[in-house]
Amino acid sequence: MQSIQARLSTGLLFSLIIAFSALWLLVSISIKTLAEDYIASRLLHDAETLLSTIEFEKDGKLTLADQRIDLVYNQPFSGHYYVVISDEQYISSRSLWDYRLAPVVVNTDEQLLTKQPGPEQQSLLVISRGFIKQGNPVVVSIAEDLNPINKNIIQFQYGFSALALGMLLLLVIFQVIILRRSLMPVTSIHTELKKLEQGKLERLNTDSPAELRPLIIEVNHLLAVTGDRLRRSRDALSDLAHAIKKPLTVIQQQTHNNDSAEASKKTILKQTDEIYQLTDRILKRARLAGHSHGGALFSFTEDLPALIKTLEMMYPDKTVHLATDIPADINCPVDRQDMLELLGNLLDNAYKWANHNIILSVSKIDNNFQICIEDDGPGANPDKFSELSHRGVRLDEQTAGHGFGLAIVADMVNDYDGSISFQRSDKLGGFRADITLNCVSN
Amino acid sequence: MRLLLAEDDYDLVLTLKKDLQAAGYAVDLADNGIDAEHLGNENIYDIAILDIGLPQRNGLDVLKNWRNTDNRLPVIVLTARNAWYERVDGFNAGADDYLGKPFHVEELLARITALLHRSRQQPGGKLTAAGLSLDEEQQSVTLEDGQTHALTGTEFRLLRYFLLNRGRVLSKSLLTEHVYDFDSDKDSNVIEVYVRRLRLLLGKKCIETRRGQGYVFRNDD
Repeated sequence: MQSIQARLSTGLLFSLIIAFSALWLLVSISIKTLAEDYIASRLLHDAETLLSTIEFEKDGKLTLADQRIDLVYNQPFSGHYYVVISDEQYISSRSLWDYRLAPVVVNTDEQLLTKQPGPEQQSLLVISRGFIKQGNPVVVSIAEDLNPINKNIIQFQYGFSALALGMLLLLVIFQVIILRRSLMPVTSIHTELKKLEQGKLERLNTDSPAELRPLIIEVNHLLAVTGDRLRRSRDALSDLAHAIKKPLTVIQQQTHNNDSAEASKKTILKQTDEIYQLTDRILKRARLAGHSHGGALFSFTEDLPALIKTLEMMYPDKTVHLATDIPADINCPVDRQDMLELLGNLLDNAYKWANHNIILSVSKIDNNFQICIEDDGPGANPDKFSELSHRGVRLDEQTAGHGFGLAIVADMVNDYDGSISFQRSDKLGGFRADITLNCVSN
Repeated sequence: MRLLLAEDDYDLVLTLKKDLQAAGYAVDLADNGIDAEHLGNENIYDIAILDIGLPQRNGLDVLKNWRNTDNRLPVIVLTARNAWYERVDGFNAGADDYLGKPFHVEELLARITALLHRSRQQPGGKLTAAGLSLDEEQQSVTLEDGQTHALTGTEFRLLRYFLLNRGRVLSKSLLTEHVYDFDSDKDSNVIEVYVRRLRLLLGKKCIETRRGQGYVFRNDD
């Protein structure tokens, strides 16, 4: 991808070129128009002065009182000319010498502004006006060479261009400097990231421009999430290694002792079963999203019916009625996979033991998400309740296969800073599990 | 009963295929999702065992595609991850049963039997009809007089197919399809021989011949 610097510079350059060109054009045209307007008004003035010197003699001959006319009209090709025409009579200024202006037809009291070439490559602005003098129609044309003024305008245009170019350069340089300075935090983030990689930093410094802050906060969040996952998989790995050692030792011992083949087989099977279950449980625990979820959230309206359908298919021979008490507007801030794991294990247990009825109630008080599942089965021995809910039991000390699902639930509750308790159900008489999950919505 | 085993774990397939064949199933294999979907649409299988983690096409997608084209083939889904969300997704996709790996072959066989009975609206337990009852584990039949006879592999497969399809006319080619897998020599005359042997064992009236159509197992309900 192109650098931001290059993109901004080209963008700026182009927009400035367009802006300056437009300005240049506008100013040039305005100046030209203004100058010509100004010259035209002066020429008209001169025309009127000239008119006052015109005399018609008695025989109708047209004469001019030369001495009252500006000297500039007498110097040959001075750039200032006049022509007076009345019927067939034609008088021109001495400055014109023998050059004749193109004839123009103008009615009385009308004026006409034209441009035409003059002598010696001059370009003339000609104003012609019709008058009535002593009863005779007269057309007075005054002309002035535009070349000197045009030269001035071109000079101005050059000056303007040079200035614009200078400004352009200056602005681009300024922009580069500003950009370099504002991208400085990115460079510092880059070095921070390097340090992060080397383990010299835990998280990025959030003291940065407003545009970058969300990004940094996101990166920090991601760091926390991956850190959490890393910690969990490390834990899972060491748990697994520890937990597998025991069954492996037992299997290894089989090669030494003198048990019968049948007994050895049994022991090995039992131990491999245990390894399977331990692996399964630890993998499940490692997969729990916990607070750092990135996936979809559990929906009571979509996922719960699917779960109930699943349970009904798993227990096709049972007719269990599951009553739910769930507020319609409750939104569950728990990861879908986690919640399915939790409810799945608890409801599976309930389906397994229930005779006919199960009640699932859910409520949310502040950040505490409460789930209660009751059944009308035989229930568990109250002495076992504390054992079931006991947290932090080392994996290899727990009997595999017994309360395995509940152990995963306990892991998950632990992950959500929640609590779990078991008791006898007052309503149905069977087993009752209460789960509280602490859901800090971020 | 002809069974489609869609599983890509070669070691598992080796032992599983043997166990399934020993239990009287004609087994065809598919080691990727695309083949599995194709075979499942052939309409010759009575049941499919489908692994979720198939290469080329995920097992759940295969299942969804079957169900979308109204293929009601009974399916047991296998998965290594054994998580609840997978179970729910599997049933949502149209699975009839679900089994997490690792599993005991006995468990799988029991589930296959249960699902086959369920899909033919048969009660659980032993298959019974016309006073005889079939022990699917022992592959033996108990007659009205209480005598139990062991069955050979083909006899057992044929009788089970008859019992699960009572009252239906079954052509010889259909019987061949459901009793043998792809690799077997198929000769529909063999079916005649085995039908004769079953009649000898169970009494003549059990299996009627419909000329030009095939056989019907007497439905006494």
